Amino acid sequence: MAAVATCGGDAGSAGSAVATGSKSNVTSFQRRGPRASGTNDSGPRLVSITGTRPSVRNGQLLVSTGLPALDQLLGGGLAVGTVLLIEEDKYNIYSSLLFKYFLAEGIVNGHTLLVASANEDPANILQELPAPLLDDNCKKEFDEDVYNHKTPESNIKMKIAWRYQLLPKMEQIGPVSSSRFGHYYDASKRIPQELIEASKWHGFFLPEKISSTLKVEPCSLTHGYIKLLQFIQNIIYEEGFDGSNPQKKQKNILRIGIQNLGSPLWGDDICCTENGDSSHSLTKFLYVLRGLLRTSLSVCIITMPTHLIQNKAVIAHITNLSDIVVGLESFIGSERETNPLYKDYHGLIHIRQIPRLNNLVCDESDVKDLGFKLKRKLFTIERLHLPPDLSDTVSRSSKQDLAESAKRLGPGCGMMAGGKKHLDF
Amino acid sequence: MLDSLLALGGLVLLRDSVEWEGRSLLKALVKKSALCGEQVHILGCEVSEEEFREGFDSDINNRLVYHDFFRDPLNWSKTGEALPGGPLGALRAMCNRTDLGPVTIALDSLSWLLLHLPCTTLCQTLHTVSHQDSCPPGDGSPVGKVHVLGLLHEELHGPGPMGALSSLAQTEVTLGGIMGQASARILCRRPRQRPTDQTQWFSILPDFSLDLQEGPSIESQPHSDPHIPPVDPTAHLTFNLHLSKKEREARDNLTLPFQFSSEKQEALLRPRPSQATSHIFYEPDAYDDLDQEDPDDDLDI
Repeated sequence: MAAVATCGGDAGSAGSAVATGSKSNVTSFQRRGPRASGTNDSGPRLVSITGTRPSVRNGQLLVSTGLPALDQLLGGGLAVGTVLLIEEDKYNIYSSLLFKYFLAEGIVNGHTLLVASANEDPANILQELPAPLLDDNCKKEFDEDVYNHKTPESNIKMKIAWRYQLLPKMEQIGPVSSSRFGHYYDASKRIPQELIEASKWHGFFLPEKISSTLKVEPCSLTHGYIKLLQFIQNIIYEEGFDGSNPQKKQKNILRIGIQNLGSPLWGDDICCTENGDSSHSLTKFLYVLRGLLRTSLSVCIITMPTHLIQNKAVIAHITNLSDIVVGLESFIGSERETNPLYKDYHGLIHIRQIPRLNNLVCDESDVKDLGFKLKRKLFTIERLHLPPDLSDTVSRSSKQDLAESAKRLGPGCGMMAGGKKHLDF
Repeated sequence: MLDSLLALGGLVLLRDSVEWEGRSLLKALVKKSALCGEQVHILGCEVSEEEFREGFDSDINNRLVYHDFFRDPLNWSKTGEALPGGPLGALRAMCNRTDLGPVTIALDSLSWLLLHLPCTTLCQTLHTVSHQDSCPPGDGSPVGKVHVLGLLHEELHGPGPMGALSSLAQTEVTLGGIMGQASARILCRRPRQRPTDQTQWFSILPDFSLDLQEGPSIESQPHSDPHIPPVDPTAHLTFNLHLSKKEREARDNLTLPFQFSSEKQEALLRPRPSQATSHIFYEPDAYDDLDQEDPDDDLDI
């Protein structure tokens, strides 16, 4: 990332989200003490924006995706300045739900929203956001829901599959107050109108922005994409998310949501043909978008119908150009719906890529086998299967027996089975 | 289900093939809309107007507004009758309509349009046309539903355009059948709900009305021979696979080796009683080496 003001990417300024003053400095390290030159933000040094927290691993500023289970899988949350790409499921049911959770989280935290869509009016999208679970009287219903889920048969099964009982729970059960990081949402209720009106949002609806009689000159980027990029750039500049308007009183995060990017409604024929005229349009768009995001306090979620993209190489390019890629595969209409293995779940979730931001390694979880289900109120992500337990600490049989068998087998192959304690020469 | 196809609005794709043609179904749906009193526009690109109107009686024919792009698609004769802009212009003109009743637009055929127009432009125009009812005009008066029926020959197109149009469509009807009996597989995508998938057997009568049917007769389908009973694999075994009730109880009462129950904990913590059962009696042999580290037995320890 450039040395110019970035959003918490500097290791030296971990915890302080703002680095606007560093344009004039030579280095990107900042003193934590009071500034000699009095700038306008004479408030506390560690400026914290609502709804963000620094990562425990590298100090990166994180925001919640709206789903605490997904936050856990992504290493605590979504880093500010990155792109979350969701590969849509076939009928676009669950990916639009994740999209809405992201936007609802923005409203609850007071972030500014930018919603871009080519098939739905952004105002309609905002009307359909799920309601947050904020009160304590919801906790009772929550506990009931969890209780009803545990049936007596499951206790019997746990006698044999006892290792699953020892697993830590994937998500924290219980609603949280509005000051915490991740929130839970009720997918069956709509967000209250007051919350939408109190929030600040900008909408980009493609059919309104381009008129159909306009003669489109051929260029490398599709016309719709150019318009969207210009719109995003204007909003970032005017509202000061990139630190360009220092008179702004309070730093805030811009949450950008782009729906169905790459579908023919955006004017992109990547879903229609393999080698079309605008085959590089989408990749260029992602490249420019990432540049805009890295230099501003914003986060972007994009849903893309990758199952329609004809040229598979393009999907690999798109994955490389995004930071976090999550694929959803729902069981509706496929033969897996009737498979008893998957009967408790509505689909599989694949974490295809996690970024390495200012790191050499990325924070991969060891579990790759994940399924999701949408209960009445909760969207939960769970492990499907446990891998076999091959660690040394598991006592499969007592160590004495192992040592005996080691002696019998002979020193050649027995040494491995014995473990370090039983190596005797 | 087939007769309530038009209730939802939006784009309805009729996918047909060489064996099961869809134009008669299209005409049946057009006739139904016309009888309901809706305004019907037809974009005829594949067959001539006379051929399309054949079979309809005169009052239905009077209600159809036919835009003919078959005879002169590129407007070479320059008579000024054809709408400017070709079929795309006609579709766009329907986007900005002023009257507000329900309207049905039949595209005969969507395949023709897909082959002559860029796919993205067609998708965008279809989306605008079929979603007019969700964007009401400024005065707030309710707009009637728009139904767009598109006939698509699925063998003519690759998976790309088919996938793109399917994702755009609210309802997709795939025609098929068995032995002369036509069926329609209807996939209905409602915006926020699970898609529903149903199969309906039907036939089209000569006057283009729909006749819904139950399905092909049972006798015509070959059945497995009923005289062979299903084989029970658990019979005639040399070992016992079934548990009696007592055995089942005994099995349930077993504690598994990895379960750390309270009895096990107590058994481990309690000081071990004298082992009546696990004593080892050993008499050292003459040649037995009591101290293995002292081979000569001369260390005085």
